[in-house]
Amino acid sequence: MNMSSAIGRPIERVDGREMVSGRAVYGVDVKLPGMLWGKVLRSPIPHGRLVHIDVEKAKKIPGVRAVITSKDVPAKRFGFAIKDETIFAVDKVRYVGDAVAAVAAVDEDTAEEAIGLIDVEYEELPAVFDPEEACLDGAPLVHEEMGTYEPNRGRSPTWKPILGTNIIHQAVHARGNVEEALAKSDFVFEDTFRTNQIHHCYMEPHAAVAQVESGKITVWSCAQEVFPIRSILADLFGVPESRIRVVATKVGGGFGGKIAPRLEPYAIALALKTSRPVKIVMTRPEEFSAAAGSAPAVVYIKTGVQKDGTLKAREMKFIWDTGAYSEGLPPSNRALKDGIGGYRTPDFRITSTLVYTNKLRATPLRGLGVPEATWAVESQMDMIAHKLGMDPLEFRLKNALEEGDINSVGDVVHSIGLKQCLHEVAKEIGWGKPKKKDVGRGLALITKSPTTTGSISGAYVHFNEDGSAQVLVGASEIGQGSLTALSQIAAEELGIPVDSVGIVAADTAVCPFDQGTFSSRVTLYTGMAVKAAAAEAKKQLLEIASQITEIPEQDLEVDQQKIISKKHQGLCISFKEVMERAHTNMKPILGKGWAGGKGDWPGLPHKLKGKEPTPGSKYGAQAVELEVDKETGVVKILKMVSAHDAGCTINPLTLDGQIVGGAVMGMGYALYERIQFEDGRVTNPSFMDYKIPSSHEIPEIVPIRVEVPLPEGPFGAKGAGELAGLGVAPAVANAIFDALKVRIKELPLDPETVLAAIERHDKSNVAI
Amino acid sequence: MRVELQINGEKSLVEIKPAALLLDVLRELGLQGAKRGCETSHCGACTVLVNGEAAHSCVVLAARATGKEITTIEGLAQDGDLDDLQKLFLKFGALQCGYCTPGMIMAAKALVDRNKNPTLEEVRTALDGNLCRCTGYTSIFKAVLAYAELHRKE
Repeated sequence: MNMSSAIGRPIERVDGREMVSGRAVYGVDVKLPGMLWGKVLRSPIPHGRLVHIDVEKAKKIPGVRAVITSKDVPAKRFGFAIKDETIFAVDKVRYVGDAVAAVAAVDEDTAEEAIGLIDVEYEELPAVFDPEEACLDGAPLVHEEMGTYEPNRGRSPTWKPILGTNIIHQAVHARGNVEEALAKSDFVFEDTFRTNQIHHCYMEPHAAVAQVESGKITVWSCAQEVFPIRSILADLFGVPESRIRVVATKVGGGFGGKIAPRLEPYAIALALKTSRPVKIVMTRPEEFSAAAGSAPAVVYIKTGVQKDGTLKAREMKFIWDTGAYSEGLPPSNRALKDGIGGYRTPDFRITSTLVYTNKLRATPLRGLGVPEATWAVESQMDMIAHKLGMDPLEFRLKNALEEGDINSVGDVVHSIGLKQCLHEVAKEIGWGKPKKKDVGRGLALITKSPTTTGSISGAYVHFNEDGSAQVLVGASEIGQGSLTALSQIAAEELGIPVDSVGIVAADTAVCPFDQGTFSSRVTLYTGMAVKAAAAEAKKQLLEIASQITEIPEQDLEVDQQKIISKKHQGLCISFKEVMERAHTNMKPILGKGWAGGKGDWPGLPHKLKGKEPTPGSKYGAQAVELEVDKETGVVKILKMVSAHDAGCTINPLTLDGQIVGGAVMGMGYALYERIQFEDGRVTNPSFMDYKIPSSHEIPEIVPIRVEVPLPEGPFGAKGAGELAGLGVAPAVANAIFDALKVRIKELPLDPETVLAAIERHDKSNVAI
Repeated sequence: MRVELQINGEKSLVEIKPAALLLDVLRELGLQGAKRGCETSHCGACTVLVNGEAAHSCVVLAARATGKEITTIEGLAQDGDLDDLQKLFLKFGALQCGYCTPGMIMAAKALVDRNKNPTLEEVRTALDGNLCRCTGYTSIFKAVLAYAELHRKE
């Protein structure tokens, strides 16, 4: 570590001071003069025709300024993946939570009261809640008009619906001949694993404030992707993107749950109707029952393996439950690409089937379909190892991807620290060492690539007159520390201290385009864009310095906010002096940079060979040690070890934060979390009934950074974020097997599930 | 109704509805550091100090807070200088999205003010009513224990 470098140092969050002081402005904190409060009326039934809506009583409440339904808003369909929703239900409602009407009133209580006075008459329709049942002939159709739907721009280029069914998307990704390879394998293993819909549980609920002035719409919301949201809103309201501005406020956690428009259309519609700014904030029950959750899947997996433990072939079939709308499409597609796991697998075929049901919608959640795939693959890897009589660690090491292998998207694997991660976690967890009764240890290998297709990041870097720099990026800070990491990258490239860098993010009116914050892509993509923009700004600075000093550019270099001559000692001109001259009678400095697309950005040394190149794949391994109480079924995690190859570390403080925080989120997915439904209605919509990890359950957690530099990453970084939670659930299931010889294939591994599995196991043993 | 509230050392006369919650009154007064995260007193994002004790302001009636000393996150920094606990949250990376941070800091403050030598278990217990989805808590524990240590030296 170079002490003068901005890279690799535990620099405190550049936006930290406002957060610890309570001054940061989140979506919930935005206040405008004359602002009204909005509320959305939601369907109480899972599936039904809208017969009649009577808003007259609601309109008469003093303080109510507008009550709107589908008649008052554009009839256009919109959607994050497929355009399959309207602002309000038009002829029918599709889940308990579907929006039916909205109110704007002078305060929140009045809006709430008015919502309760809207009379809606429904004619209930048969509903379908199980994705496998939804695929059967004769199942109630959630979207009869699917044939008329369109995808959202470039977002879903490979969209393949099966018309006349509930299957909104079915796609296959394959290599070789999987049938033949399975037939030739010494052993074939076939299993089915199940997962649950979980909730993101960002602590800040969705919030949006819309203002319409002089024909221009401005929305402040806690959005992860301001530009894609702007495009959707502009199309929906029929205004050019130049007249709509989306500004991300401070985002109180996202994890994928804030990538799509959620409240923005309602706030805009009410602001248009009332000519007043309108604010809407979701309540926590509304979050659980009408925002979105993860995309749960039934995962069928068939693996062919040789006696010596060589993996030959893998077939996977996913049935994804996307709920009432198609936002589950990105996870279903990502699992196609990354689903087989980080192993050499010559022949494979993955089929993803995305199915509508009359339930809460699915949306990406930290890992975008890869948690569900990893749950199946890494559980089955242990099962295979045990059958073959191999150590699960050895079995993984034998098949794990290494430098020069071809990965599942056809790229040549490079800069991979996967095996080192496995070795590191095994060592730290005490793999193979003696352990107490009812204690088990489990491993999982983890990998995920960032989504590349259609994913561009831009950046601008300007110099200010005092020689400090200003960075503009389009990607939202959602808590991961991107403002800090991007400031460090700019500072390093410019050779100035981090506190001389100012940064503004995620305002469509001033920032360059960025696809947004998702898929562990910001450090890599936006980071490369910032680095390129800073390099260009520095070049312009040297050009101007050369004109001022009359020394050729090639003889000048940058040192501590000064420009010095390589040849003439003592010649020195400060950034400030250059900028004062530049802004007086020369030209401003405007560096711009970009990264993304087909992985073909400037400076990319490795031409990736696949059809959809995936630079910056992340690699890692997870280990847990736990104790099972056989009487109660309670699993107590004693220790978690997470090794991550996130490339070179930009900031160890924020990277460790991602690793540890992700592991704890993974622990919730493994042990506690499940959105529970009864006839399509969420029955646990509160933190009392939906448990997330709290301070009491946190075990010892060891984050390990394995730094294999990525040449095409900013200062060798790959980035982090989603990988952290991927491996905990299978590692826990593998550790439970290690402790009790009981295999569980469904989540969460809560006391009821574990006890039932122990009982089933004991009975089957007695029978034998 | 009109009540007198003493917030961060300053007395104010405030016009409130009888059923107004302390959280809403504070936020109306522009003290928006305390957050609403759940409405049911399960997340702790609304934690403030009432007479030095941590309280979830989303379930405290503002009218019941009269005559008591209320401290919010905005009351910690003195003349623009952050409190040591705030500084340690930054140093240990004990925050990510920051939404739970004001409540977390106030709950920790209440603990260390009454117990200058807390064990890790006591820290866990004191923060049990404060949920964080981002950090995994361990960095928060470290910041709080470091703060207690610093406090003991003073």
